[in-house]
Amino acid sequence: MENKAKILIIDDEEVVLDSCAQILKGAPYQLATASDGTSGLTLLQEFRPDLVFVDLKMPGISGFEVLEKIGEIDPTIVIVVITGFATVSSAVEAMKKGAYDFLPKPFTPDEFRLIARRGIERRKLMLEAIALRKERDLLREQFASIVSHELKAPLSAIQQNIFALEFELEKRLGPEQKEKFERIKARLTDLLKMINSWLRVIAVDIDRLKEGFVPLSIAEPIANAIESLDTLAARKNIKIVSEVGQDLPAVLGDKVSLAEVFVNIIGNALKYSPDGSNVRVTARQEEQTIAISIEDSGIGIAEEDLPHIFDGFYRGKGGQTVAGGHGIGLAVARQIVEAHNGSIEVESEVGTGTTFTVRLPIHQS
Amino acid sequence: MSKKLLIIDDDPDFVSGIKSILDAGGYEVDVAYNPKDGLRALQAKKYDLLLLDIMMGRGAEGIMIARKMRKDAKLREIPVLIITGMREQIAFLFPGEPVHPRFVDVDEMVEKPVEPKLLLDKVQSLIQAAEAKKAEK
Ligand SMILES: Nc1ncnc2c1ncn2[C@@H]1O[C@H](COP(=O)(O)OP(=O)(O)OP(=O)(O)O)[C@@H](O)[C@H]1O
Ligand SMILES: [Mg+2]
Repeated sequence: MENKAKILIIDDEEVVLDSCAQILKGAPYQLATASDGTSGLTLLQEFRPDLVFVDLKMPGISGFEVLEKIGEIDPTIVIVVITGFATVSSAVEAMKKGAYDFLPKPFTPDEFRLIARRGIERRKLMLEAIALRKERDLLREQFASIVSHELKAPLSAIQQNIFALEFELEKRLGPEQKEKFERIKARLTDLLKMINSWLRVIAVDIDRLKEGFVPLSIAEPIANAIESLDTLAARKNIKIVSEVGQDLPAVLGDKVSLAEVFVNIIGNALKYSPDGSNVRVTARQEEQTIAISIEDSGIGIAEEDLPHIFDGFYRGKGGQTVAGGHGIGLAVARQIVEAHNGSIEVESEVGTGTTFTVRLPIHQS
Repeated sequence: MSKKLLIIDDDPDFVSGIKSILDAGGYEVDVAYNPKDGLRALQAKKYDLLLLDIMMGRGAEGIMIARKMRKDAKLREIPVLIITGMREQIAFLFPGEPVHPRFVDVDEMVEKPVEPKLLLDKVQSLIQAAEAKKAEK
């Protein structure tokens, strides 16, 4: 690739083209010219300029049309419109349509040079910003695998060797030494769990998720979620009462991640409710949405916590006192629901209970 | 005669932590620290079970071994205990498949790190399952 910046000038007046070429002689630019919009656009495709000067008033297709077409071909190409003094208002119009600057006729060589230099600078900045954004996206995508290898691998190796050491020494360890092993193992397990849940938040790739959406019955992910929470519910002697209409219209989504949403919300309901209570799960049609409610009669959420519970790593005061956790479940649930163009709401009263409602749009086939 | 196991894993520290448990469990354990050596060992000697790190290296090179084994009638009979650092990534590598991929006739998956008792239980039950399957034929 040549590193000389490329400028294309489209103007029907021969003198303008000539004088521009004259002014830029010796400057570090590569120049191309066209005398009408149509041939300018053709030339643009192969010349791939950084900056285009385009006359607004030309026979054939208008400068405005050229402006629009360039935007469609490559929105990062910087456009400066050339206008007569009498048409400053159309210059403003052009800038609203995406032109970066305007050059009023007649112009001095210095004016032209200055505007050309600024236009090229602008293009450079735009390309840099795009490259930066790409790099950041890539980093985020790779973050999960980088973290898993660079952080988790050494921790796993450490934990594995502690397991082995304890196993080999089993008969020789006194109670105090055994307790130290337990402490080390517990802290490492916590650390590994924490890394796992961070990864969940950071690595949910919403776009990839959306690619796999299919029409499905909401009953399925709800049933899967309840099934996977069976043991937890049994341990706390909590009954999950589910009333899900079997012939509800389908939603468009990803079954596995929707199940995760319900596991997180129903899991919370179990976690933050007293033994022996009931949790109610209902699904019904509400206008153009399916509304799924999860109702518990647990500890409830304090008013000052309510605005924050869907944020990552936030734990409510009540929640902290009754059970462990990382404050991730609802943040992940919200991300997934929003990827489905849905919403989550919560109503709660301390000491009485909490109701979460997830709404998902009905699939229009 | 003691059963022969092969570990394929590129992390020597992790390997030392499972090998000593398996040694103590009365197994004869060989180790390969990369997929190439691992495949060579599998072809050279008869093993009763393979412990495979599926996320070896950056590109999940362990998968390559699993895929080769799946295609080879002889190697397919060896039970495999898949050891992984990350469950989610497995699902991601095989979109649409259940989290537990069935590579060969008998396989199962555990997550790193593995508790000694769980490790020994899994190894034993996989070997038994593979023998039972062979006897059926
Ligand atoms: N059903 C509920 N009843 C009472 N409090 C709740 C309920 N659901 C959520 N909370 C509060 O909201 C907070 C955030 O919930 P979230 O599920 O995101 O995290 P967590 O349960 O603390 O941890 P984990 O990441 O393990 O799920 C909880 O700490 C708790 O204070
Ligand atoms: Mg939770």
